[in-house]
Amino acid sequence: MSFADVLLQQVVNGIALGMMYALLALGFTMVYGIIELINFAHFSVFMTGTFIGLLTLNLMGFTGSSQALSGLPLAGTLVLVFAVTMLATGLLGVAIERICLRPMRGLSGTAPMITTIGVSFILVNVVLIALGPQTRPFPGIIPDRRWAFGQAEVTLRQVLLGVAGLVLMLALNYLVRRTALGKAMRATAQDADAAQMMGVDVDRIVLLTFFLGSALAGAGSLFFGFYYGFTGFYIGYTTGLRAFTSAVLGGIGNIPGAVLGALVIGLIQSLGGQLLGVRWTDVVIFSILIGVLVFRPAGLFGMQTPQKA
Amino acid sequence: MRLRTIVPTLALLLALGLLLALPGGGVAQPKMLKIGVSFPMTGADADSADAMLKGIQMAVEEVNQKGGAGGYKLDVVLYDSATPAAGQYDPAQAATNYRKFIADNTVVAAVGTIMSGEGKAISPILSEADMATVSPSATNPDITDPKFIAQYRPKKKPVFFRNVTTDAYQGPNMANYSYHTLKVRKVYVLDDSGAFGVGIADSFSRRAKELGMTILGRDQLNPKEADYKTILTKIKGMNPDAIYYGGVQQAAVKLARQSHEVMPKAVMLGSDGIYDLSFPEQAGKEAAEGWYATNASPEILTDPKAEEWVNKYKSKFKRDPTNYAITSYNGVLVIADAVERVAKSGKPVNRSTVREAIEKTKLNSLQGPIEYDENGDIKNRVVSVYQVKDSKFKYIGVAPQK
Repeated sequence: MSFADVLLQQVVNGIALGMMYALLALGFTMVYGIIELINFAHFSVFMTGTFIGLLTLNLMGFTGSSQALSGLPLAGTLVLVFAVTMLATGLLGVAIERICLRPMRGLSGTAPMITTIGVSFILVNVVLIALGPQTRPFPGIIPDRRWAFGQAEVTLRQVLLGVAGLVLMLALNYLVRRTALGKAMRATAQDADAAQMMGVDVDRIVLLTFFLGSALAGAGSLFFGFYYGFTGFYIGYTTGLRAFTSAVLGGIGNIPGAVLGALVIGLIQSLGGQLLGVRWTDVVIFSILIGVLVFRPAGLFGMQTPQKA
Repeated sequence: MRLRTIVPTLALLLALGLLLALPGGGVAQPKMLKIGVSFPMTGADADSADAMLKGIQMAVEEVNQKGGAGGYKLDVVLYDSATPAAGQYDPAQAATNYRKFIADNTVVAAVGTIMSGEGKAISPILSEADMATVSPSATNPDITDPKFIAQYRPKKKPVFFRNVTTDAYQGPNMANYSYHTLKVRKVYVLDDSGAFGVGIADSFSRRAKELGMTILGRDQLNPKEADYKTILTKIKGMNPDAIYYGGVQQAAVKLARQSHEVMPKAVMLGSDGIYDLSFPEQAGKEAAEGWYATNASPEILTDPKAEEWVNKYKSKFKRDPTNYAITSYNGVLVIADAVERVAKSGKPVNRSTVREAIEKTKLNSLQGPIEYDENGDIKNRVVSVYQVKDSKFKYIGVAPQK
């Protein structure tokens, strides 16, 4: 394999990683856009999503040793699993907002943020106690198809991840920019009090934001499961922290910024691993986080698009 | 009643209750000694720990059926050394467990630790308490190496005995095997950032270089990371003959899955850190197929001498044993033998005398003769090689010493 092919392969890997981080980063950025809260429970919603997806697949009769599906059964299964998981994580997000965060709304300071950290720990430990600390194999129902470009290859899993991720992001973009609901969201983001006076039900909009963000995390968690073929109670932290970094990099509160930031982080991870060694991955990523916070707190793309949500 | 009267009344009642609850003073107690066991019973290595614990239980039962050791019945105190936060063994938890053993005067010795990282954490504690532990599987050489005596046994006397040889042989012998038999010339080396993983990967690399192999690179996996595709893609670009992985299950399972996807034809070399019956199932059948592993003990399970033992174990516990179930079983026999010799000599049976007696162990066992050198390492230095075939570890042979 020539060096150019290796680099090409790492770019493909990096984009796939970036798409996964993007789905997660969107949840951080949307919630921040609306209520200016960094929701650390998002890590654990993502992790819980992988287990909801896994249990759904198990209920449908797929286990770690199941054969790959193809054609209509594959599409049907995927649509069903995604629907169930996204709905479940969405509702989990709604429950977190309604039970733990709404009573805190309007409090200044870090209390709501600390609460989300607490919720995150609770979720991790609930999953740990209920399902055990072992890593679980994820059913490999997506066939192992590959397409070669030179000696680099793109797998069907990566293509599905990319296409489905893009579709979800475009749908979100359409919802936020082109619908009445999106208008209400943007209004709430700009000025919640004024929006309320104009007849926007702010509580409902906040709930909806949590639902959408968490549902996207649910989609991300299924991509994670299918892509890596396993899940464990501890996966939320590493992945979540990188997604959070992506959101900050893109300017937290900025939706296209989060996606771009995630792609950048994905590429840094894969190309950095290639050129420096994977032991430096986290050092590089979090140095970038610190650098951005110090020198460009509004994020790389924060200035150009002041429009939140 | 006012508070002033309640407190003395309660205190009196409590004292009475305690008196009644005290074990019948004067009545002869059956003489009982405890063996401490601190194993990672949950987490990524739970299955291999379970196999080893059952070896211990079997040995304790057999010793007790024969009337005990030197007139003492044996009992096991078990603590889990894995923590939820780690998802696998946790050296700090192992240290806590061993402090509990030391606080209990009836614990004369321990069997463990399974992991080298735990061994490093508990060895100095044992040295202070002058108590022995017999490890069935910890292979990092530093723990017993005289070079690190100040760090791991400040009181000088050997306390960490092991029924397996060390990575001073396990890593290098695997290098010999891969060079001579598998004809590996270019290898990439990975470790899982644990004490065991880093150590064995180092010793493998050193020997590989001596043999004239090219080490294409060396990197460290974070066992909590999900994505190893990056590093695997990098390795694929270097066209290695093989990848050597030093480490335990948590990272191995993911490495196997993803290497099967990125470079399905790669020759994957591991150590006893992946010799775990659940490895093929956790990693996925196809992904685990063909992986090489080693064991720092002779192959005992398929030895006709051990047939009776294996059958008894299987029918008793309804599961398959591992070689380290036998080294664990022998750990109990070593302690029982030491207790017996101390009792015969007329000295008091306590941790110091038992530790001293273990130093002079000369025992014929299923794994061959057990004798320790002046640091506590077993004198028999056989390393065995295995390969996963049809989702089972198949014994291939003894790894060459040179």
